[in-house]
Amino acid sequence: MRSAPQRPEAEVTPSASGSWSIRLDDVSVTYPNGTTALRNVSLDIAPGEMVSIVGLSGSGKSTLIRTINGLVPVTSGTVAVGPHTVNGMRGRRLRSLRGHIGMIFQGFNLADRTDVYRNVLVGRFAHTPIYRSLLGITTAHDRELALRSLDSVGILDKVWTRAGQLSGGQKQRVAIARALTQEPSVMLADEPVASLDPPTAHAVMNDLRRVNAEKGLTVLVNIHLMDLARMYTTRMIGLRDGRLVYDGPAAEAAESDFEQIYGRPIQPDDRLGS
Amino acid sequence: MNARTAPPLPPSRPSRTAASLWAIVVGGVVIAATVGLRIDWSELGDVPGDVLRYSTLMFADPNWERLPRALFEMWRSISMAWIGAILCVIVSIPLGMLAAGNVGPSWVRLPLRVVFAIIRAVPEVIIALLLLTVTGLTPFTGALALGIAGIGTQGKWVYETIESAQEGASEAVRAAGGSTAEVARWALWPAVAPALMSFALYRFEINIRTSAVLGLVGAGGVGSMLANYTNFREWDTVGMLLIVVVVVTMIMDAISGAIRRRITGGPRITEKRSRHVVGIR
Repeated sequence: MRSAPQRPEAEVTPSASGSWSIRLDDVSVTYPNGTTALRNVSLDIAPGEMVSIVGLSGSGKSTLIRTINGLVPVTSGTVAVGPHTVNGMRGRRLRSLRGHIGMIFQGFNLADRTDVYRNVLVGRFAHTPIYRSLLGITTAHDRELALRSLDSVGILDKVWTRAGQLSGGQKQRVAIARALTQEPSVMLADEPVASLDPPTAHAVMNDLRRVNAEKGLTVLVNIHLMDLARMYTTRMIGLRDGRLVYDGPAAEAAESDFEQIYGRPIQPDDRLGS
Repeated sequence: MNARTAPPLPPSRPSRTAASLWAIVVGGVVIAATVGLRIDWSELGDVPGDVLRYSTLMFADPNWERLPRALFEMWRSISMAWIGAILCVIVSIPLGMLAAGNVGPSWVRLPLRVVFAIIRAVPEVIIALLLLTVTGLTPFTGALALGIAGIGTQGKWVYETIESAQEGASEAVRAAGGSTAEVARWALWPAVAPALMSFALYRFEINIRTSAVLGLVGAGGVGSMLANYTNFREWDTVGMLLIVVVVVTMIMDAISGAIRRRITGGPRITEKRSRHVVGIR
C-alpha cells in the first residue's frame, strides 16, 4: 500500500498538452442500416474555440461529435484533429489518439458499481500498458492526475464513493474529471446537460467554460437548448437533417436562426430557463 | 370536427398464415408423439393405488438407523455440486465473455457458441458415463461431469448478460482510448459481476439436484445410496433417504437464494465505506 497525498502538491496539472484544431472536410456518414446521419459537412474549428452544435435529436449532432474521436467511422470525407487524420486510423494508433480527446456524455457513462477513483483512472488507459490497467496498477503520476482532476471539479471528497450513488450533477463532474485526467487537447461533450435539472445544468456548463478558458482547450458541445448555447459558447453550428445550416457567433444567433435550424417554430422546451 | 370523415386506414395487417401453419405442424407432432408411445390408458386407474402403497412403505415408518451414513453421503453430494459449480464458473466466465457480441471477434465468438450449444445438448448423465470410463467411480467424476455439463448453459448466461449490459460505460472507456480488454475489465465486468455471481450460486443449486441423479449412475454421493437401497427394496430406508435429500436440498436452496438476493439487491446500508488511504493498487 502506498498512500498518495489527498491534496497533491503543485507540479502535475491536468492541463492541455497543447490545444488542437478540428477540421472536417466534406464529411458524410451513412450507418450500416442505411441511415444517412451526416451529409457533406465541412467545418474548421481553431484551437481554443468553444463551439456549440445545435440541432434537434436525429439531426446528426451525436454522429458529428463521434467522428472526431473515431467512435463513428466516416463514409466519405476527412476528419483531422490537430496534426492527425482520424479516418483510416485503427487499433493502437486510434486508441492513442483518443487518449488526447476527452469526451463526456448525456448519460454520464460511468461504471456505476465502481468507485469514483477507478472511474476517473479510466482517463489514463491510453497511456498505460495493458497489463497494468487490467490489474489496476497505477503510477503515482496517474493517481495524482486523477485526484487533481477531481479537485478541479470540486468533488474530491467523493473519491471513494461508488459512482452509482452520486447525483446526476456529481456524476457529470466525475465524467468531466475522467476526461481531464486524459490531459486532453480537445474536449467533446454530447448533450452534457440534457439529463440534469436547470441549476446543475448551469454548473456543468460553467465547468466546461472554465476548462475552455483556463486551459485553452478546444471544446465542442452538442446542445439542444438555445439559451445555453448563446450563454456559454462563442460560436454556434446548426445541423438539420445531417446538413450544416448555420455557422456563426453564438451570441448573435437570432430566434429566426434557431427556427431555421430546428425547422419549426421555437417551443418552450427549446430553452432551459432558470 | 367533422364526424363523417372516412375511418383512419391502418397499414394492412401482417400475414398470419405462417404462424397458423406452424401451429398445425406443432399440434400434429404432439398427437404423433402420444400415439407412438403406446400408453396403456387402462393402467392409469391403478396409479393412485400404487403411489399410496409405496408411499406407505417408504414414509409410514422411515428407518432412521442409517441417518449418519445418509448425511455423510449427502455431504459428499453437496461437495460434488460445489466443486462442479466452481469448475463450471471458472471456465465459463472467460469463455462466455469472449463469446459476447461486444467483446470477442466473430472467429472466436461463433466456434465458442457452437461448443456451448453442443454441451447443452448432452445431458449430465451421459457426460458422467463417458467420464466414468476414464476416471473411474469417484465423486470427483461427478464433480467433473457437473463442471463440464454446466459450461453450456452457464456460458450462454454469461454472454447474454454481457450483451445486455448498458453500452454507456463501454463507450466511455473506448472514447478514452481503452482497448477491448480494458472495456471488458473496467466497464463490463463491474456491470455484470453481481449477476454472474448470482448465476454461479444458481449453478450450485442446480448441481445439488443433479448430483443426486449422477449418483444413480455410480458417481457416488446420496444418489448411489438411494439407488442401492431401491435395488434392495428396503423401502423404509429409501423413505428416510428421500426425506434427507428433500430437506437438505431445500435448506441449501434457501441459503443460496438468500445470498443471491443479497447480491442482486445490493447492500441494504449504503455509504458505509469509510475513507481508505489512497493506494489500492
